[in-house]
Amino acid sequence: MDTLLTADVAASSANFRRRSSTYVDAIHDLPEKESMAPAQLYSTESGRLFHSGRIVIATVGLPARGKTHISVALARYLRWLGVKTHIFHLGDYRRSYIGEQGEVPEDYFFVNASAPTVLLRNKILKKCREDIMHFLDHENGQIAIYDAVNPLATGRRALAKEFEKQNVQTLYIESHCTDEKIIEENVRSVKISSPDYQGWQPEDAVQDYLKRINARIPHFETMEESELHYAKMVNAGQRVIVNNCAFGYLSQRIVFYLLNLHIKSRQTYFCRAGTTREEDSYKADASLSAEGQDYAHKMGDALLAHRESERRNLIQHGAPETTALKPLTIWTSTRRRTVETSEYLAGLGYRVRQRSQMSQLNPGVCEKMSERRIRAMFPEEVAKHEQDPYHHRYPRAESYHDLAVRLEPIILELEREQNDLLIIAHESVLRVLYGYLMACSATDIPNLQFPRDEIIEIIPASYNNSATRIHIQGLAPMMVPGSPEDIRIPVPPSAMGSGAVSPMSGLGTPAGAGNMTPETRDGAGGLPLRKQALGPPSVSVSVDAKAQT
Amino acid sequence: MPPTPTSAPQAGQEQQQPQQAPQQISQDGLQPAGQYRPNLSQAPQGDFMRPTARTRARSRSANGVGVQVEDTRICVVMVGLPARGKSLIAQKVVRYLGWLSITAKCFNVGSYRRTNTPQPSASFFDFTNKEGERLRKAAAEAAVTDMIKWFKSPNNIIAILDATNSTKSRRRWIKDRCDSEGIETLFVESKCDDEDLIMANIKEVKTTSPDYQGQDPEEAAKDFRERIRMYERVYETLDEDEEDMTYCKIIDVGSQVIVNRIQDYLQSRVVYYLMNLHIKPRSIWISRHGESMYNLSGQIGGDADLSARGQQYAKMLPELVSKSAGDRPLTVWTSTLKRTAQTAKYLPYEKLSWKALDELDSGVCDGLTYAEIEKEYPQDFKARDADKYNYRYLGGESYRDVVIRLEPIIMELERSENILIVTHQAVLRCIYAYFMGTQQEQSPWMEVPLHTLIRLTPRAYMTEEERYRADVPAVSTWREKGSKAVHAEGTPAGTPDLRGMVK
Repeated sequence: MDTLLTADVAASSANFRRRSSTYVDAIHDLPEKESMAPAQLYSTESGRLFHSGRIVIATVGLPARGKTHISVALARYLRWLGVKTHIFHLGDYRRSYIGEQGEVPEDYFFVNASAPTVLLRNKILKKCREDIMHFLDHENGQIAIYDAVNPLATGRRALAKEFEKQNVQTLYIESHCTDEKIIEENVRSVKISSPDYQGWQPEDAVQDYLKRINARIPHFETMEESELHYAKMVNAGQRVIVNNCAFGYLSQRIVFYLLNLHIKSRQTYFCRAGTTREEDSYKADASLSAEGQDYAHKMGDALLAHRESERRNLIQHGAPETTALKPLTIWTSTRRRTVETSEYLAGLGYRVRQRSQMSQLNPGVCEKMSERRIRAMFPEEVAKHEQDPYHHRYPRAESYHDLAVRLEPIILELEREQNDLLIIAHESVLRVLYGYLMACSATDIPNLQFPRDEIIEIIPASYNNSATRIHIQGLAPMMVPGSPEDIRIPVPPSAMGSGAVSPMSGLGTPAGAGNMTPETRDGAGGLPLRKQALGPPSVSVSVDAKAQT
Repeated sequence: MPPTPTSAPQAGQEQQQPQQAPQQISQDGLQPAGQYRPNLSQAPQGDFMRPTARTRARSRSANGVGVQVEDTRICVVMVGLPARGKSLIAQKVVRYLGWLSITAKCFNVGSYRRTNTPQPSASFFDFTNKEGERLRKAAAEAAVTDMIKWFKSPNNIIAILDATNSTKSRRRWIKDRCDSEGIETLFVESKCDDEDLIMANIKEVKTTSPDYQGQDPEEAAKDFRERIRMYERVYETLDEDEEDMTYCKIIDVGSQVIVNRIQDYLQSRVVYYLMNLHIKPRSIWISRHGESMYNLSGQIGGDADLSARGQQYAKMLPELVSKSAGDRPLTVWTSTLKRTAQTAKYLPYEKLSWKALDELDSGVCDGLTYAEIEKEYPQDFKARDADKYNYRYLGGESYRDVVIRLEPIIMELERSENILIVTHQAVLRCIYAYFMGTQQEQSPWMEVPLHTLIRLTPRAYMTEEERYRADVPAVSTWREKGSKAVHAEGTPAGTPDLRGMVK
């Protein structure tokens, strides 16, 4: 297997535009039907926003500089804003041309490559660029991200000219590292997991990998072309040089996002707050109950045990005994119950930050009302909500869209954070953050489920994120599903797990969730976070599905 | 200072407000469908980017559970030789942040210095002049001290220190002062070596500066050029020695920008705004659509056609625009609603239609008259008067919501040159408020008559406004606070006014 190829995942897939599983994010899927993106402020008929025209974002940089990571992160953010974006990894095309078993010619990246190699190279480039133009011309695409090395100034000038002829702007994004440590760490975390390096000492593997890159791509010129539009990220975003980029709203917005991005990978964990003492309301900022305190302990212990087993796992795979995970930081909202849920871990020395933007969706008039009561009292509102649960606001309430727009600073801080991160927040907030990280559509987000007995772990990878769940053992069954803190906003019957009209919300939580083990991975035996009911909206079917798990 | 937003959906605040709607429900029991009339006056807002300042005030009492809220206070330190547009940038940032409900204030060291030395000559700025040096340092000291005092108030988030700050030692001193107070620093350098640009700036701004009041402009310009030379001798640009600092270096008005060590979201947001600015002279023309059929019947919202008089305005608009704009190249922006497109129909320029320029969505009240709203939703009607900026129509939008969706428009406006916007009353008020720095409690009540073209010209210290009224009568859609507001036949619009400016 060619270790120069970044997107190993794609190698096994003949079709790049495949459908994701429920636990792998949808960033490489093209949404089938047009729908408003989570934070989209308005829609247009063409699907193109901001009158910014069409843009190709082309990456520049040697392997292991985080190009794919930047491409994917950018696509995630742009889609979230509602800009129709797709990523074209040149590596995918190379793989598909050369085939599983084929060898990339040794001189593939050489300037003075042999004639057959040049021919092969041009063929691959041509196919990729044709697909880009097809996406922009015929699929209402607005931004195509072209993920490739683009090592030479002449090539970059020619590419920009070629796209300009088609009335497409080219924005280059270079990831440039002067700090060897960053490169080595990136190689260690992303590249050497390949089978080529099975049984190698990590240090040797890193050095070998770097040597091979340098031998195979001997010519590389960093961007200095003052007439081109480019943003150069130096040392994982510590410094950004922005050249001639003021050509459109989106180009500036992209630079804004890059200012918050770094290329180091880290884990994100999501969990709910504990339950509170009294029959609680949104307005009362109540303290945790005894069960809630118990939950805080058990959740903390489960998380730490999981992290320790991860560490052991690394050591087993050849990492030195002294290996440490990234430090863990905790974010809570400013609500008492989330802060108190973090106290146990804070007591163990973990750093906690309160973020006021992370307070839950305001339930408005639905507060403290049973679902039946809401249905009886506001049948029209319920009907509207079922039409569009993402954008509809109950009287005095916030919609998920409002929440998503309010969470934008958190999303960017999430990208900025370098430590592992535990987010303790209300389910509504977790839904939106999860939706961003996993590229969920706006229609899916209101139906995501976060039962209290699970910590959701988002595992980043440069190609796509995936989610796993860590079971919290020994919780009282009654606190796992709905809790008094839940907003009893009815969701469409199709997405309701157990009966269309239920006085208790949260019964939509998969009943079988409690049987999961910490080892459950990849959704193999797990219940998807996205409800099965997204298929045919039949309540009985989804109940049956649960009974089987 | 912007009013305290009543929006953040936070515990303490919610508790203070009597929430009538749920109580009302419990008294009335189950109501038949469609009868429910909630009080929407305090509908929660999606807080766009307001950081954690509010919790700072409350954290100790409201959830004093031992973990401190971390919040952001940023001192934006301007760096650059005189006549590089620093004050212009500083003022724009303050206005932009205020528009987004973030409290910001500019501290101009020059005005502190002026209290002791109102009209210094160039030699005052000679760095070998010990007395001048001492006085300038004292002014900086006073400005920084005042700024730190200002930051004690929990709502104050961004301060801008407007001075040349041309030496490394001065910048290091500011950073140390701020560090010790827990205030982040963001240095913003405007570096420009284009002589023409500098001289244009000197002529436009500096000769009208208080330093040169009552002096001969030619002499003043000469003296000022001399002053710049004094600074040039000791000027040190931000460079490798200051790698540890957070800075943004804008070279030749944004053709290249170097951004170093941005620490948080809010800083990146400020830098993002700075990158969109330019200083080329330009104007923005704004107009409401011509009178529509809904205006005549007094209905709000909708997507109605123009009335006959509205059509007449559309036909006159090209002449009205060219009187003001001459033969400057212009781009016309309209909303996606029929009445703006019809109004712009005869304009001989490139046109773009923006969904973001559509009128404030009045939800269930769309298509009603104010009288009908008052009759059917009396509580809403009152609530809207009480806090019009934050009031969100049931199923619709508030002014605050409109500001959020206009943010891309504002960024695009900052980037663009001459633009003519044909839009709607509420949207126009928000855009106008951005350029004129109008307070949130006033902006929703501003009177913007139909059939009037407004020209806004951004200058260094203010935005100039001119109004041109077309000689086409129209109803007045302006409703005074507390009034019933029938759309009345507007009298003043009847006066012939193409000849001159109203204001």
